[in-house]
Amino acid sequence: MEEDASMKFFSDQNTSYADILPPREARARIEVSVLNLLRALNSPDPAISHLSLINRKRSNSCVNQGILTDVSYIFLSTSFTKSSLTNAKTAKAFVRVWKVMEMCFQILLQEKRVTQRELFYKLLCDSPDLFSSQVEVNRSVQDVVALLRCSRFSLGIIASTRGLVAGRLSLQEPGKEPVDCSACGSSGFPISGDLNLLDTTIMTSDARYIILVEKHAIFHRLVEDRVFNHIPCVFITAKGYPDIATRFFLHRMSNTFPHLPILALVDWNPAGLAILCTFKFGSIGMGLEAYRYACNVKWIGLRGDDLNLIPEESLVPLKAKDSQIAKSLLSSKILQENYREELSLMIETGKRAEIEALYCHGYNYLGKYIATKVVQGKYI
Amino acid sequence: MEGNFQISETTNLLRKIKEFTRSIVEDLAEGKSPEIAINRFRNYCNDPEADCFCSSDEPKGREILTLRKRSQTYRIDMLLRVLLIVQQLLQENRHGSKRDIYYMHPSAFKAQSVVDRAIADICILFQCSRYNLNVVSVGNGLVMGWLKFREAGRKFDCLSSLSTAFPVPVPVEEVEDIVSLAEYILVVEKETVFQRLANDMFCKTNRCIVVTGRGYPDVSTRRFLRLLMEKLQLPVHCLVDCDPYGFEILATYRFGSMQMAYDIESLRAPEMKWLGAFPSDSEIYGVPQQCLLPLTEEDKKRTEAMLLRCYLKREMPQWRLELESMLKRGVKFEIEALSVHSLSFLSEVYIPSKIRSEGSFH
Repeated sequence: MEEDASMKFFSDQNTSYADILPPREARARIEVSVLNLLRALNSPDPAISHLSLINRKRSNSCVNQGILTDVSYIFLSTSFTKSSLTNAKTAKAFVRVWKVMEMCFQILLQEKRVTQRELFYKLLCDSPDLFSSQVEVNRSVQDVVALLRCSRFSLGIIASTRGLVAGRLSLQEPGKEPVDCSACGSSGFPISGDLNLLDTTIMTSDARYIILVEKHAIFHRLVEDRVFNHIPCVFITAKGYPDIATRFFLHRMSNTFPHLPILALVDWNPAGLAILCTFKFGSIGMGLEAYRYACNVKWIGLRGDDLNLIPEESLVPLKAKDSQIAKSLLSSKILQENYREELSLMIETGKRAEIEALYCHGYNYLGKYIATKVVQGKYI
Repeated sequence: MEGNFQISETTNLLRKIKEFTRSIVEDLAEGKSPEIAINRFRNYCNDPEADCFCSSDEPKGREILTLRKRSQTYRIDMLLRVLLIVQQLLQENRHGSKRDIYYMHPSAFKAQSVVDRAIADICILFQCSRYNLNVVSVGNGLVMGWLKFREAGRKFDCLSSLSTAFPVPVPVEEVEDIVSLAEYILVVEKETVFQRLANDMFCKTNRCIVVTGRGYPDVSTRRFLRLLMEKLQLPVHCLVDCDPYGFEILATYRFGSMQMAYDIESLRAPEMKWLGAFPSDSEIYGVPQQCLLPLTEEDKKRTEAMLLRCYLKREMPQWRLELESMLKRGVKFEIEALSVHSLSFLSEVYIPSKIRSEGSFH
């Protein structure tokens, strides 16, 4: 994970990123913040210094268009927002950041980890006038990430294990027997939330494709039918919106097997495309961590030119939320032209469709559909 | 041997489907309407005297569907359409979810609920479980601890990695060779509590099996739990949040759900004990005031409705008392509130002491 600063191109030096640190270093960064505050208080001209947090708004997001590589990503640049005690609007947020750091410090000292919900209750009991909801806690945690430039995981917060993998892949954790992901039954092999573990897992594969699946039900169908034996591939799902661990895993696979195209199978609706884009470019909300896991993901289905394969009744109207997501995606600087066209088609017709719509041709049609598209290279 | 048993079950079911269809055709050929009797099931009612037959698994009434009424004709039509698809699944030895079935003919079915009802009707008619029709959904449960088993040839060796979460297998009928040295089974409502126990390496110091349905338990989690109980004959303790939703989950595990009342035998966990959290625990274990959240209007209505259920009055009066106490206090709290002073409180103090002292209610 070390990057030699002198090798960075000019644009890279503008990237803000969160490090993945062992507990000792995370604690050290907290201590440094405290020392800085004390130093300012102790100086001949005492003051309560403000906190400089990396700005997590769209205005600070930049796009790195891959020219030499074909990976583009969103990253947060070096614009800061100030959080200070003297400003009425940010005063509470200012204190919350310190509280969260104190709590995380204690937890790291005990060499433990904590779930976000447990963190909420601890903070609720400790300072009920500062924290009243889970949302506030989550936001403050992201503020700490933006301040200390270290990942949530480094602060001792447990990540959930959402992702699953199945197919022509063998995973070996250090000191353990290798696990064959093609013999996982129909449930697939869960992707661990422990990023350190994922980093040291040895991967071997004879697959020719990596296929990302949006929904658990579709993943289950494909794995049950052993489609990875008809098309030599590895299936990965995050069961919806991708979490960091699944993205990390995908990125590692991409690095280990750089010649394997990554294809995404999502519903034909703005939410599905948003999920694809998160795998592909990263996100602004987790901008400090997410950028490093961007991968060159291609869209295999469900797409506009597949609509003639599904019955009329399976095209249902877009919901209000869909329109919002579509608008947000269209305004993004990074979205490529052909994806924009697909979104425009969704908005114009006002319709969306799920992958299951293909089942009207029989349940083994899905495997054939993917195989045909893969063989004909029909992915964008 | 089990494989052969399943194959003959499938053959049996296919035969029954053929006979059923033949009888309908014969009736129609004679110019009379077929009469299809569908039993009604429920696992609880709101009888204030609890003087009902809900505790028995027998049907509580019957509807007879005929072609003489239009609404019933529609129901028969849908039943036959779904039955055709089920027959295909069985003949080709494939599986599909309820959703998959809907998507095969969305124009005919028009809504998922129509398919769901047809499947329930078929299960009742042929007196079988949903999985016998090869209708299954993805599973959401997790298990860890002192357990080893095999599913469809794949080995699940939870024992080798006591703090790793393994997915609960969906085809529970293919689970074999269950081996365990556990002393009890612990069922937890939430994934976060499961994670906490894994993080604290709870199973290293406590010889047990931990299962979670990650919220409202799905059919495969409930069936798996039932299977473990039958094969291992171990006590089962349930840990839920002290709120109406948590209690609903506890009741579903223990008494089954109304929706699947026709298949109650394989889905419930009789003699499951309620480990916690009780309203009284908030005082005993010093839960801080801020962590006690007020019951919303919705919560209160829910609790009052649950208090009316006959199975509570008849079988678990102690549970009913605690539920009443929750309503009276007007507050609820989550399991995490117990760990506020010490993160490992749950693993090191609360759970072991409750299990040792039999502090959980039968």
